[in-house]
Amino acid sequence: MDSFWGNIFKTKEKKEEGITAVLKKIPIFEELSRRELSSIERILHQRTYRPGEIIFHQGDAGVGMYIIEKGTVEIILEPANQVVAELSDGEFFGELALLDESPRSATARAKTECRMLGFFQSDLFGLIERDPRLGVKIVLRLASIIGDRLKHSNQQMQSLINKIHQLEAEIEKLKETSKKGSRKSRQSSSST
Amino acid sequence: MDKQFARWIKLLFLLLAATAVLAFLMSIGELVRLVIIAALLAYILEPLASFLESRGLSRVMATAVIFIGIISAIALFVFLLLPTITHEIRSIQAGIQSGKATQLIQNLENFLQTRLAFLGLQNLNLSEKVHQVMVNFGNQIFNYLLNIVSLITNLVIIPFIIFFLIKDGREIKRNLIRLVPNKYFEFSLNLLHKMDMQLGNYLRGQFLDALIVGILSILALWLLDVKYFVLIGAFAGLANLIPYVGPIAGALPAIAVVILESGDMIRIVYIAIAFAIVQLIDNVLVQPLVVAKTVNMHPLVVMFVVIIGGKFFGVLGMLLSVPATGVLKVVIQESIANFRKYRFE
Repeated sequence: MDSFWGNIFKTKEKKEEGITAVLKKIPIFEELSRRELSSIERILHQRTYRPGEIIFHQGDAGVGMYIIEKGTVEIILEPANQVVAELSDGEFFGELALLDESPRSATARAKTECRMLGFFQSDLFGLIERDPRLGVKIVLRLASIIGDRLKHSNQQMQSLINKIHQLEAEIEKLKETSKKGSRKSRQSSSST
Repeated sequence: MDKQFARWIKLLFLLLAATAVLAFLMSIGELVRLVIIAALLAYILEPLASFLESRGLSRVMATAVIFIGIISAIALFVFLLLPTITHEIRSIQAGIQSGKATQLIQNLENFLQTRLAFLGLQNLNLSEKVHQVMVNFGNQIFNYLLNIVSLITNLVIIPFIIFFLIKDGREIKRNLIRLVPNKYFEFSLNLLHKMDMQLGNYLRGQFLDALIVGILSILALWLLDVKYFVLIGAFAGLANLIPYVGPIAGALPAIAVVILESGDMIRIVYIAIAFAIVQLIDNVLVQPLVVAKTVNMHPLVVMFVVIIGGKFFGVLGMLLSVPATGVLKVVIQESIANFRKYRFE
């Protein structure tokens, strides 16, 4: 009898440890204590998807983020149906939807059998109300991740702008050389 | 063809299951009524639990604090208000038999018969009818309050359900959402969140509004030295849940009591003014602050649902018909708005 109950609790403990380990790897939760992680665990939604099943469509209202516990997910840009990313165990997507309800920018589809953890805006808002300290920690972490991405995007944009300037300068040079060339050819044709 | 047949079978099965569930719920109607009342109260009290949690209490402790509050309120009701209310009801029943009251009703009957003869009003027997209604009403309430088994069952079961709904409400909701197929999961989650926000504001606003109007009415009636002011004031607060009809229905018992007691016209005018002031305060100060405007309903709709509620479920139906219609309106409104934001393929 003891082993029966022992097995039940062991399984639950093991499962919870597994989820905590997955959460610990997610940048949003990496600085949280064990107690705080278990508070997060209580509001996560566990879902299972079959291969090929759509998790959300591009254009749907965003409600929150997904963490892949096990499996592979494809991020697809429509209407070209172009796979732009493949995410697997311990990775996450859709975190922007935690902050606003803007439409999903791509479709997410399960490539293999997937076990996912959903962390949604409504639950985050509830958490902020009940445990503002933990809520602020998560929102700050989220802001820092989005800030990093913004910096990264700015750098990318800056390098693109630099490239554009370089290209413009090269085009100008080419134009000038072609002008000079055409002048020379006109002069030579007039002298002849 | 096979697919369509399977779909029809599925639909038929769902309809049968829904009918069976409905029949079962109707067969345990009393329990369902208790669960609805408890769920409504738990829903109204939920933000209080969240507030206590934000102050550092665990969910169980927060629930326990609220539960102790409810138990104290019930104890206060049983030991302080219940004897007063039963005494007040008995007094009303006795008051109706006083000669003055009978004379007043007789005068009113004569007045109606002479002035409204063209409507065919004859032999109204008003005093007999009023007497009968008051005696029946008083007996019903008195018997209900003194029906110890039902009272104790209600006083034990309702807080018990409230306790578990507040403590485990989130878990129950999460487990229910788990049953939703992946295709409709995000849609359902979003819908529930939107409904929760709108309904929560609406129901809590209504409850707070009724509470404030009830307290103001009790205060006004106490100042005007009207008998049974606690009972009438509490009734006025509850009646305020019914728009348009409620405020008038709330004032009528106070006027009736004064008519039966003394027939003093000046006091009746004072009571009417007092209720008008309470309504003014409610409309100008309280409602704009506490009642959500998202569930605005057309006056005609309100009238219809109050009549339908009263027809099927009596006074409780009249009181709950407007909030229930508000719930239904939000559900339909949000379902339509959300349905457009999702693709179901």
